[in-house]
Amino acid sequence: MTVTAPDATDAVAPGAAPAAGLAAHQVSVAYGRQRVLDRVDLRIAPGETVGLRGPSGSGKSTLARVLALLHAPDSGHLTLDGSPVRGARHRLPASVRTRVAILFQSPRAATDPRLSLADIVAEPLRATGTPREQAAARTAELADLVGLTTDLLTRRPHAVSDGQLQRACLARALVHRPDYLLCDEATAMLDASTQAHVAAVIGDYQRRQGAGVLVITHDPALMARWATRVVDLPAA
Amino acid sequence: MTDLALPARVRRLRRPGSAGTTVAVVVLAGVVAAALLAPVLWPLDQSAVDLSRTRLAPSADNLAGTDDLGRDVALRSLYGLRVSLLVGAVAALVAAVIGGLVGALAGSVGGWVDRALMRVVDTVAALPHLLLGIFIVAMLRPSLGAVIASIALTHWLSTARIVRSELLSLRNRPFVDAAISGGASRARVLTRHLLPHVLPRLALATTLMVPHAVWHETALSFLGLGLPPHLASIGNMINDGQRSLLTGAWWASIVPGLLLVAATLALAVLTGRWRDRLDPRVRAELQL
Amino acid sequence: MTAPALLTVDGLTVRFRLRDALVHAVTDLSLTLRPGELLAVVGESGCGKSVLAHALLGLLPRNAAVTGHARLRAPGRDDVDLIGAGERHLARHVRGRGVGLVPQSPATALTPVRTGRKLLEETLRAHGHTRRDAPAAADRIAADVGLDPADLDRYPHELSGGMAQRLATALALAPDPPVLLADEPTTGLDRPLVDHTLDLLRRRCDTGAAVLLITHDLAAARRVADTVAVMYASRIVEHRPTEALFDDPAHPYTAGLLDALPDRAFVPVPGHPPALTDLPGGCAFAPRCARATDTCATVPRLDAEGAGRVACHHPLREEVPA
Repeated sequence: MTVTAPDATDAVAPGAAPAAGLAAHQVSVAYGRQRVLDRVDLRIAPGETVGLRGPSGSGKSTLARVLALLHAPDSGHLTLDGSPVRGARHRLPASVRTRVAILFQSPRAATDPRLSLADIVAEPLRATGTPREQAAARTAELADLVGLTTDLLTRRPHAVSDGQLQRACLARALVHRPDYLLCDEATAMLDASTQAHVAAVIGDYQRRQGAGVLVITHDPALMARWATRVVDLPAA
Repeated sequence: MTDLALPARVRRLRRPGSAGTTVAVVVLAGVVAAALLAPVLWPLDQSAVDLSRTRLAPSADNLAGTDDLGRDVALRSLYGLRVSLLVGAVAALVAAVIGGLVGALAGSVGGWVDRALMRVVDTVAALPHLLLGIFIVAMLRPSLGAVIASIALTHWLSTARIVRSELLSLRNRPFVDAAISGGASRARVLTRHLLPHVLPRLALATTLMVPHAVWHETALSFLGLGLPPHLASIGNMINDGQRSLLTGAWWASIVPGLLLVAATLALAVLTGRWRDRLDPRVRAELQL
Repeated sequence: MTAPALLTVDGLTVRFRLRDALVHAVTDLSLTLRPGELLAVVGESGCGKSVLAHALLGLLPRNAAVTGHARLRAPGRDDVDLIGAGERHLARHVRGRGVGLVPQSPATALTPVRTGRKLLEETLRAHGHTRRDAPAAADRIAADVGLDPADLDRYPHELSGGMAQRLATALALAPDPPVLLADEPTTGLDRPLVDHTLDLLRRRCDTGAAVLLITHDLAAARRVADTVAVMYASRIVEHRPTEALFDDPAHPYTAGLLDALPDRAFVPVPGHPPALTDLPGGCAFAPRCARATDTCATVPRLDAEGAGRVACHHPLREEVPA
């Protein structure tokens, strides 16, 4: 076994009682012949903020996509609050997928340029059958939480700044009240004030909901301030 | 703060090549309007044979002269263009439907379905397409339907490839990931997040295909394998005009040919400009 | 600093006309850049700082209207106003030669079909090197930016983000421009590469060139800049020597931005920045400012040059020595 688990809580002894949390067990991923993740263990417990650190190319983003149920590992598996998760993306029912949300580095790449910010935030609700009025009410509630004005909500991505768009992405990520939120360099493109604001909104949500958070960042000061526990991912 | 009025130079800067666009619009609008309105504007019988007036040079009475059966070449060319454009447009639409379905299936299902469909596309594409088109009309009876089938069945390949590659490049983009993570079903991801990005490309590819289809029809008709000879189509006219060419009556085949070149060139210029506006690499976007 | 300025920006104003709005991207911006100086322009995304870089290179989209001047006075060259000069003149004599650009995302800025060495040698030959001495010069510049000669023979897509960034920097340095613009050169790089890129810019200044670093990363600005200009809502609100600005900010916005740093209070500036299409009259920061009074309904004045200037009616300190 390679050294991947600096923290004892990340490895689960065989036969141990299933624990709450989103956990990767001995997860490996390869793209073609290139191995990106090699038997990695990681657990995010409810209420904690795990910082994930590692050099460029160590597979941090891939691990985040695996945990976000967007990429099935080639070997190993995930557990969500103790139950094993088989497959990823559409192989999983929407009710499972929506329990884990992900926030990407570039809000431009993560939004459809054709939709207004209001439609972007409401889309996960509309996709899971919430009636229009109810979705609109929840969108307004979240817009207020992340600090987007009604005027901004009517605009499309090209007419707002990266900071405003990332706040819309945060609202979208929280729309289903996920139990786990994964932030993949989510504040790397933002200025200090917007970064502090995004971190504060996530912190508030986490305290109210008891959610588990994963933070990937290159910034040692941000890592020290935000994460309650730091895990190192060695180069694959 | 002084509110700055934009200098006129900046406000009215013309796009490079906009003169070409204007010419293309005028030519296409003129040719299409003339072709569509021909029966109203000139209620003469384009197929009226007048053996006393054969192979007359262009004059005030017959703007583009007459052919070897005494028919007015200008009028007959317009009727021919009507038929050619109609056949081209219908065939391009049918090809777009076939190509769109195959490409969407390959690009969204993936796996062995994708590999099998793309192998079929590669195989068909490896055959010379005019030869394949001739083979298809030869199997059917010469008719409008046969010509459309011949064009559509040889022109759907590029559309299928475009739709498939667009879908593949979109499929793993973060905004699609976000939709899946938000609980969107396969069908919703396809219809709401993928296809709206593919449809403009599909429409563009279809429009670009119309000139191709018209030329294919013309080639078939010229070879005598296309539309029945009594139907005026550009290809039939060029074919008929060959007989007159030897007697020096060049107008009988050159005029319909030039009309076709003008119409298809104008169409190609316009779709090219449309593509430029669609393509984010060409579009200079305002980044705040 | 007494050396004559290499670049003097005077009253630069950029507006974009949108279908239903006017974007105030840069307003009445003045600054000077002297040999050996590294000036960092910081501010949140959408405050207009990237537009500044594009305006100086004449790379704004068609719907932009630009007024003001940006004079480039490099020794041994004709003076040129970057704002008034025509596209042909900019393309032939200014971009690359007079003003170099280290782009934001090098991976997409590099031609994918040529190796790094080809790209670098072409650039060198286009700027006066002969076919004979270009290879040696390419190796030297590559070594300067910390690029292995072996990596120079790879294609851009075979390079990691950090190597691509070094190659893009090498290409910007090859024509030896007196002024270098670096537009968010560290976005997406991890910490060691960020530091490496910044140190390269610093070394560039130490050879007598001037660098304008545009970034949202305050830590980056602090590491290398001589002076820092803070932009808010299209204007410079404070421009001071780096240490003075970080230790003892004068503008309430600067103070708020510094408080948002994760190694300080980690508290965001209250409220949100205004849209550049709809700026408040007077001081644009007043609606978010605890010190605002009726006086703030007029736009506070800012000195045209120097690095001891602040645009505030109620600064946190009265004296702001350069």
